[in-house]
Amino acid sequence: MFHVTKAYPGDPPVLVDINLDVQKGEFVFLTGPSGAGKSTLLKLMFVAERPSRGQVLIAGRNVARLRAGGIPYLRRNIGVVFQDFKLLPTRTVAENVGFTLDVLGTPREVVRARSLKALKSVGLEHKADVLPPKLSGGEQQRVVIARALVNDPAILLADEPTGNLDPRLTVEIMDLLCDVNARGTTVVVATHDASLIERYQKRTLRLERGTLVAEALGHKAAALMA
Amino acid sequence: MSLTASLSYFGRTALNGIWRSPFVHVIAVSSLAIALVGFGLARMAQAQLDKLLYALGGEVEMTVYLADGTTPEKIAELQSALAQRTSGQTRLVSPAEALGRLAEQLGQQGEALQSLAENPLPWSVEVTLPPLAREPEALEQLSQKVRTLPFVTQVDYGQEALERLTAIARALKLGSLIAFVLVFLTAVVVVSATLQLAIYSRREDIEIQKLVGATDRFVRAPFLIEGLLQGVVAATLAALALWAFALFVGPRLAALFSFLDLGTAATRPSPRLLLELYGIGAAMGLCGSVVAVRRFLHV
Repeated sequence: MFHVTKAYPGDPPVLVDINLDVQKGEFVFLTGPSGAGKSTLLKLMFVAERPSRGQVLIAGRNVARLRAGGIPYLRRNIGVVFQDFKLLPTRTVAENVGFTLDVLGTPREVVRARSLKALKSVGLEHKADVLPPKLSGGEQQRVVIARALVNDPAILLADEPTGNLDPRLTVEIMDLLCDVNARGTTVVVATHDASLIERYQKRTLRLERGTLVAEALGHKAAALMA
Repeated sequence: MSLTASLSYFGRTALNGIWRSPFVHVIAVSSLAIALVGFGLARMAQAQLDKLLYALGGEVEMTVYLADGTTPEKIAELQSALAQRTSGQTRLVSPAEALGRLAEQLGQQGEALQSLAENPLPWSVEVTLPPLAREPEALEQLSQKVRTLPFVTQVDYGQEALERLTAIARALKLGSLIAFVLVFLTAVVVVSATLQLAIYSRREDIEIQKLVGATDRFVRAPFLIEGLLQGVVAATLAALALWAFALFVGPRLAALFSFLDLGTAATRPSPRLLLELYGIGAAMGLCGSVVAVRRFLHV
């Protein structure tokens, strides 16, 4: 991202002059208080929002100038874990996970097989034919991660992926994201959970009032939360 | 990416959409079916009128009256000229035969004709025309030409009755065309309204589809198929309704208008009419869904 600013008419800017470079295969935490602009930054990355000023390059493509018709093809390389899950309550868990493959025109039997494989990786294979409202918050979160990963995306964006989970599940989910990262996927996680940053010691960027105020690596990252 | 997998997905999504909100789809299909039944009945009535006109045209003969004193040689010459020009069959009618026919038509009053000192009727030639020449315009042109022939004094082909019937047929065609356009537009509005509801009820699906990389075409396709299915189902219902109409009401109508010799076969929906029903049904459904998708689906 180069000098990215995002503002909505009539409101103060949400992001101000952000410069950010995430390497392929990297794991990055985005942290900061609520309203700091973490979610907006992620939205710019999967083109749910366009920058008011500046450039956003993903895999060498300038998404700020991307035509509307090109957005779907970019998104197919990006898995997103939404804070509010965005699961369809009338479709089974397997159907929700397979949604990502359906839009690619994947044959039905392949969709089913790959959905089950993704669910197995998050430990929910046995809940494949259950409707999401029957699952706990943690289980729903894991379904969302399975949906984001089923297509083997190059980039995984997660907005507060452990916000609704107990400490044991939080570790499980984070370990899962680390595994995905170890297999080569670039992972960006927005969180305000200091314990995660302390435990995993990854590159961490701190946002405050729309501005990138600090950056740290490894064991120094925890200091950013102070 | 597999086209068959996508088509199968679109079909399943469309059927699922119908299954999830059956009531609005029943309303849309019923409206379309009623519109198509109206169209089918108008087409069947028009077919009967065309048949009637054709039959009437077959009965109308052109009668060419000749001048007094035309010699038998000239009459024979003229008869062959008429046969050549009209491509029809000619028959010479003598004044005596014409008088006999008139007396027969007049019945008892015809006896008065016997008191005439001499036969006032001229020689005439009756021409039975081929089907192509039975159209009012063609008949008029032909009669103009025949009038210019030597020894011809008058030409009669019952033009008034034929023109009146043709005018009625034209008015019916125009009226049914206007009605058809109105019904078509109404059906399109009904289909688009039901699909607007479908789009609203599936807004979450659409949002997630877009977020996981669905193209606009992919999001729109199931709604277009839904509209198309509505049209095809409505056409099937309309065909069944018309067939039932022909089976139960057709014979009664034929009996009621027995003097017109409607027959029963012609009152059934023809294969061509069935094709038209399916074509128009599909077009109405598709137009309605295109309108809905363009107006209400902001992807």
